[in-house]
Amino acid sequence: MKQKDDVAIKVEHMTKSFKLYYDKATTLKEKLVFWNKKKSESRIVLEDINLEIGKGETVALIGTNGSGKSTLLKLMTKIIYPTEGKIITNGKLTSLLELGAGFHPDFTGRENIYFNASIFGLTAAEIDARVQDIIEFSELGEFIDSPVRTYSSGMYMRLAFSVAINVDAEILLIDEILAVGDQHFQDKCFEKLEQLKNSDKTIVIVSHSLDAVKQLCARGIWIYNGKVRMDGSIDQVIDEYLKICG
Amino acid sequence: MFKNLYNYRQLLKSNVKKEIRGKYKGSFLGVLWSFVNPLLMTLVYAIVFPYILKDTGDHYVTFIVIGILPWTFFTTVISQGTFCVLANAGIIKKVYFPREILPISVACSGLVNFLISCIIMFIFLLCSGIGISVQILWLPLIIMVQTILSLGIILITSGINVYIRDAEYIINFIINMLFYATPILYKSDMFIGTSVEWLIHANPMAIIITCYRDILFYQSMPHVKSLLVVLLGSLLLLFIGYKVFKKLEKGFAEEV
Repeated sequence: MKQKDDVAIKVEHMTKSFKLYYDKATTLKEKLVFWNKKKSESRIVLEDINLEIGKGETVALIGTNGSGKSTLLKLMTKIIYPTEGKIITNGKLTSLLELGAGFHPDFTGRENIYFNASIFGLTAAEIDARVQDIIEFSELGEFIDSPVRTYSSGMYMRLAFSVAINVDAEILLIDEILAVGDQHFQDKCFEKLEQLKNSDKTIVIVSHSLDAVKQLCARGIWIYNGKVRMDGSIDQVIDEYLKICG
Repeated sequence: MFKNLYNYRQLLKSNVKKEIRGKYKGSFLGVLWSFVNPLLMTLVYAIVFPYILKDTGDHYVTFIVIGILPWTFFTTVISQGTFCVLANAGIIKKVYFPREILPISVACSGLVNFLISCIIMFIFLLCSGIGISVQILWLPLIIMVQTILSLGIILITSGINVYIRDAEYIINFIINMLFYATPILYKSDMFIGTSVEWLIHANPMAIIITCYRDILFYQSMPHVKSLLVVLLGSLLLLFIGYKVFKKLEKGFAEEV
């Protein structure tokens, strides 16, 4: 049994169901006219999940499309809330669900660094201290002072990843974003993640690139049809997963 | 609640900056539009209304300016605020941050704009020869009451607008109607003794605009009792609004 302080993420009997709308009524007219029509049913996406992720662990969530991995990650981030049960997180948390969320196209790269980092909850002084690192990591050079709308998609992603990775959170939730930029930049990201992993950060990764995950993570959790199918060392879990789904 | 907000103060700051600067980015006059617009409106009213109203009194242009600018502050905050959660659907779906930052930053950017507009009011007061009296010391209190009232309203409307998209249109209509039920173009005593007198008393913006007029245009004491009633009501609304917003925010990411 782990000490309470050693747990970074704790999921207790958590169930999440989504409403499926046949024809979603968003206007008042539709709500009034169709008020008695059964227009939604709920579908359970995750059912009775129990997990404990300790501090400093690097965990991979694997599973087929639609199994609920990303939903679980969103629940951990507190973007959506569980229908039943609860999720407790302990420590500053950053999620890299989608890169560049909230970039303003007309602002320069530098301004967007400030804006994006502040979404992650950093103060001005904290951003000042990191801004040089972020620019250097992104390798954008002189383009950093051009509006983001002039960037290529690769530059955009590089900037976004650099901000997110330099936020210095204790818990990092990453959803399938290891494929950023060219080979050189990917290697660099990978290196940075290794470095974070060794510096006692908790990392949860959702990914389909099993090789990358195998190198990076020690523990694997296989989500299958909204339930935890297997939880153990990454090699075992991936072997089993490939046997069934490969 | 406050601790969480304090931790995210930088987001509030940069969001306000984004609201103010991002809105007019690319236009030639930029931020100046937030002042040119109400002034052009004033111009139109100042030309038309002397033909409609029998008695407009002296300094009618200054009279309207003191009504229009606070009113513009109110309507921009309400219409932008109602839409603010939907407008930021992109980040709401992807990042966690205290959602109340969105309506709060709309209220703050409106406030910053209005504080700058105050300079325009002062210019009109000075140029028309009315001048500025010591009653101006009431101004911060009145501005505060108006900001709290607006924030309370948009905390509720921004949340509701996510679930019922009609809210936006209904609210825009109410605001347009309220414009005529608020003494902006006419004096506050115009409807006294008529059957619609209650409308002026029940409308908090009527009381607030009248207070601005009293201290700036007539240079007299504002009606302190009414102002305090509006302040208490606004604080209560802010509290309820916050609770409602907190309740509604759980579904934002799934509904936007």
